[in-house]
Amino acid sequence: MSDLSGAMALLQLGDSFFPSGAASFSWGLETLRAEGHLARAGDVEAFLAGQIRLRWATFDRPVVLASHRAHGDLEVVAAVDREADAATLAREAREGGRRIGAALLRVHAGLGTPGAASYRDRVASGHAPGQLAAVQGLAGFGCGLSESATCALSAYGVGVAIVSAALRVGLLGHLDGQRILSRCRPLAVEVAAGPPAGIESLHAYTPMAEIAMMRHEVGTGRLFAN
Amino acid sequence: MNEITPGFPAVAAASAPRSAARVGVGGPVGSGKTALLEQLIPRFTARGTNLAVITNDIATKEDAERVRRTSLLAPERVLAVETGACPHSAIREDPTLNMQSADELDRTFPGLELILIESGGDNLASSFSLDLVDFWMFVIDVAGGDDIPRKRGLGVLSCDLLVINKTDLAPYVRSDLDRMLREANEVRGGRPVLTTNCHTGEGVDAVMEHIAREVLFDR
Repeated sequence: MSDLSGAMALLQLGDSFFPSGAASFSWGLETLRAEGHLARAGDVEAFLAGQIRLRWATFDRPVVLASHRAHGDLEVVAAVDREADAATLAREAREGGRRIGAALLRVHAGLGTPGAASYRDRVASGHAPGQLAAVQGLAGFGCGLSESATCALSAYGVGVAIVSAALRVGLLGHLDGQRILSRCRPLAVEVAAGPPAGIESLHAYTPMAEIAMMRHEVGTGRLFAN
Repeated sequence: MNEITPGFPAVAAASAPRSAARVGVGGPVGSGKTALLEQLIPRFTARGTNLAVITNDIATKEDAERVRRTSLLAPERVLAVETGACPHSAIREDPTLNMQSADELDRTFPGLELILIESGGDNLASSFSLDLVDFWMFVIDVAGGDDIPRKRGLGVLSCDLLVINKTDLAPYVRSDLDRMLREANEVRGGRPVLTTNCHTGEGVDAVMEHIAREVLFDR
């Protein structure tokens, strides 16, 4: 894939216009906003930085990389996928990852991305959970993206999910949203430079977000699915 | 739930065998979409149609609860999709979660014939993805203003069936129903327009019969 073609593929797959259902998920932000823990743009920036450093770097990224490095071997992808699923404590986080993963698989299967239709069938028959990060690695490899491009896509997805949810609940305006994404980019680059954690040592430490998602399960007046 | 669940509940990642026709119900907030569902559900049930409903909530699960409370449907036949404050996107640009929910209903209820998918409340420019639905209705009402049809909104123009609701209120809100109907027919080039009063159920039989004819093929 040429540089330009690769860049255009990345733009297409990373665009919020690319359908995956991601707009329905806030990953705890909705509850944190409702309960007063996030009140302004600076809080959102700190929240996103925490998500990148303490979850994406040590959890999502290793899963994306391991799935990409499976080179289309679906048994390996499924093993990584199962680890990611088992290590996700909050139900809404686990189910959210499955739902977006399934939606993404369905779209990639429809587009003919190699490996997507077969893996979609595994997920649909209950033989793999279909967690988002594992699907991102599989689809990134299938689309011919490099490891780093696939990781960039994953990190950017975390940023857009948080910032766009924050914008929609009224925590910030459109310029603040773009400023936060810009300011958090070097952090994602920094943590992506290190060696990834092994799949056997996946870990995250984002207790406020996880507790918020647990509380969200029984909340009323929900805009988001988590 | 599927029989094959060796550890993970199957998410509807694949298209389930499509047994049920999918019908979208869109329209502005307060035009009577949920009221129309409340009137349609008992009629389809009496007709023997195997039915389920998906609601797209803006802020709460209230619409789904309302349908559950007032209809003859079992609670598990009513699913609510949270749209993250993007009700337009969830039925058009990114309908993936609605498709996932519809597939889940197809898989859970073999023999399902009809899924009614209610949007979360739209403006006049909304429309349904044709990947999501086989047929869609747009519900407007006389109290929203009798100029709505001539504004030529995308929803009014492109839906398969336009429903003008709350006909009983026309004299009280200074709306000219005859003019509304005439202009609706003009801008739609003669494509179907029906009127209802979902408070009493007047006109709803015709809506049901239209859906039955167009998408159930009188199954």
